[in-house]
Amino acid sequence: MNAVMTAEAPVHGADRLHGRRARKGRPGRGAFWLIAPALVLIGVFLVLPYLNIIGMSLRPTAVGAPYGAGFTLANYANALGDGYILGVLADTLLLGVTTVPICLLLGYPVAYHLARTRSRWGGLLYVLVLSPLLVGVVVRSFGWLILLSGNGVINRALIDLGLISTALQLMNNRLGVTIALVHVFLPFMILPLVGVIQSIDPTLEQAARSLGASRLKVFWRLVLPMSWPGIQAGTSLVFVLTLSAYVTPVMLGGAQVKTMSVLVVQNLIDNFQWPAGAAQALVLSACGMVAVWLYARLTGRFMKGLQ
Amino acid sequence: MSASAPTRTATGRRTTRVSLDGLRKRFDNAPAPAIAHLDLKTEEGEFISLLGPSGCGKTTTLRCVAGFEFPDEGRVRLNDEDITDLPPEKRDIGMVFQNYALFPHLTVWRNLAFGLEMRGIGKAECKRRIDDVLAMVQLTAMAERYPRQLSGGQQQRVALARALVIEPRLLLLDEPLANLDAVLREDMRVFIRELQKRVGITTLYVTHDQSEAMVMSDRVAVMLGGRLLQFDVPEAIYMRPRSVEVARFIGRSNLIEGRVEGLTDEPGPYPTYRVSTALGSVPASHDQPLATGQPVHVTIRPEAIRWRNDGPYAGLVQSAYFLGSTVEHMVQCAGGQSLLVQTSPGQRAEAGAEAAFAFDPGHAWIIAAAP
Repeated sequence: MNAVMTAEAPVHGADRLHGRRARKGRPGRGAFWLIAPALVLIGVFLVLPYLNIIGMSLRPTAVGAPYGAGFTLANYANALGDGYILGVLADTLLLGVTTVPICLLLGYPVAYHLARTRSRWGGLLYVLVLSPLLVGVVVRSFGWLILLSGNGVINRALIDLGLISTALQLMNNRLGVTIALVHVFLPFMILPLVGVIQSIDPTLEQAARSLGASRLKVFWRLVLPMSWPGIQAGTSLVFVLTLSAYVTPVMLGGAQVKTMSVLVVQNLIDNFQWPAGAAQALVLSACGMVAVWLYARLTGRFMKGLQ
Repeated sequence: MSASAPTRTATGRRTTRVSLDGLRKRFDNAPAPAIAHLDLKTEEGEFISLLGPSGCGKTTTLRCVAGFEFPDEGRVRLNDEDITDLPPEKRDIGMVFQNYALFPHLTVWRNLAFGLEMRGIGKAECKRRIDDVLAMVQLTAMAERYPRQLSGGQQQRVALARALVIEPRLLLLDEPLANLDAVLREDMRVFIRELQKRVGITTLYVTHDQSEAMVMSDRVAVMLGGRLLQFDVPEAIYMRPRSVEVARFIGRSNLIEGRVEGLTDEPGPYPTYRVSTALGSVPASHDQPLATGQPVHVTIRPEAIRWRNDGPYAGLVQSAYFLGSTVEHMVQCAGGQSLLVQTSPGQRAEAGAEAAFAFDPGHAWIIAAAP
């Protein structure tokens, strides 16, 4: 790749010398070759499987084969007409809508501190923030199992302390899934926020102070509005990650919490209903995309001066 | 009028006297204090420059007045009110930052409204004041733009307007012209000075650019190493430096060591002494009594020296550099003393020539303080 860049450099220089402005601003062939590997990767591992799933979702169900002959919209009609499936979809979206604000509330102060600290422990804090990602999802979920189960660490400690007499229901419900999801997705909230908060010039805060704003007002009127790009990125990430989470809901949700991902996998693996599962997966994707697009539209106007 | 009551200028603004008493500030882990000791008092409506090289303590001083730093010792007073311990938002001081510090997520209008909203000022009054101040900085048409859509000079004027619209007691400017190109900088000097005169607001201006300080200020405070070296009108700073450091820092100057021989009876605004130097016995002025035999420096500005065939001093011209409006000569004189001589291009002397010269005792100034 280096060779491509150095080979292109003199050409660009010559362009400028001869005043050939026509090509200015348009990526040259060099730029295309630089992004080509990424395009291939996306094409092979994202676009093609998606097309495959779209094709599958339009096929009738068959016995003894992934799908039958011909095309049908019946899978979508079933998915959107079935009260149970719509309920699972609503539950899934609700899980996203609860996980996101909790992550934001917990993550923002950490991100602010991380962005502003000059302590030499800053690096350690950074590693701690990333730590949920350093452990595999299954191991992490087992960890929460040990903590949250009826006979788990938290319940036993509370009973031993005499604070409660019977164990609290901390898992196999929405609470346990939410706790575990917040834990693992917190870094995806914090990291974009740190970047944005770091880029807020501290002299802006001083300017606001000199204009009569207290520390609290500086936060509400200046720091928070200027954090919007990070808030938007972080909340969108956590939302889509929550929608597509599978292992955590399965391990900590028990029979009580069923998300779309769980349902889709059930249809694909257990019931061998590939076309139905594909349609349900696409319905979830579409809902997620529409939600994120709407959210970006709505929050975009807070960020007019910030691009 | 009592000493504490603020007077009002023609435009109805309050004016303020600033006084810094025995200010001292040392940052953690710093080998030397940022401000070693500082006393400074302004008059009402004065434009004061804090001038010095970087690290002289001028910005720290300004930040102590603004409330972003708190001095270890000493008091900051506006009129007779002690504001040393007040947080910045309670000080009612307008500040313009070097990078303008405009709020990027707000339009020009909302930037200006920010300080007014913090003061709970009503909508109608907000609009009147913002309209006024936008007209003053000639940016009425830009009210709905975002800062990033403005040029550097326009951003500068918005920053100025934002500081003035709250009608503060005092205006602080921290190297506001440092990020502008040379031509715009010259224009903005005049613009800021005219605006300040019109508004009549007491102003502290931090700069390392001496010509900026000279052009704009009523008085200049020259700082070095956290101390105030001299605080006087620009002409006095230039013509009558109190220390070798000031003479060196302000403009270019020839410093000649010598000893006072005695007082002469030459006429002039200040008493003229004769000083024995490497050049011989030279006449020079000073406003304080000097003892015979006292070691002193004589400072002579390069432009105060003229070629004169019957001049009392002579030297060998070593170099002559043409600078456009002037020519700078380096002249090697008796006793190893070299002098910088600045003349008009018509008076150019060639390198290698012997040249005789003279200067007016009124333009030779004695610095009595030990170097």
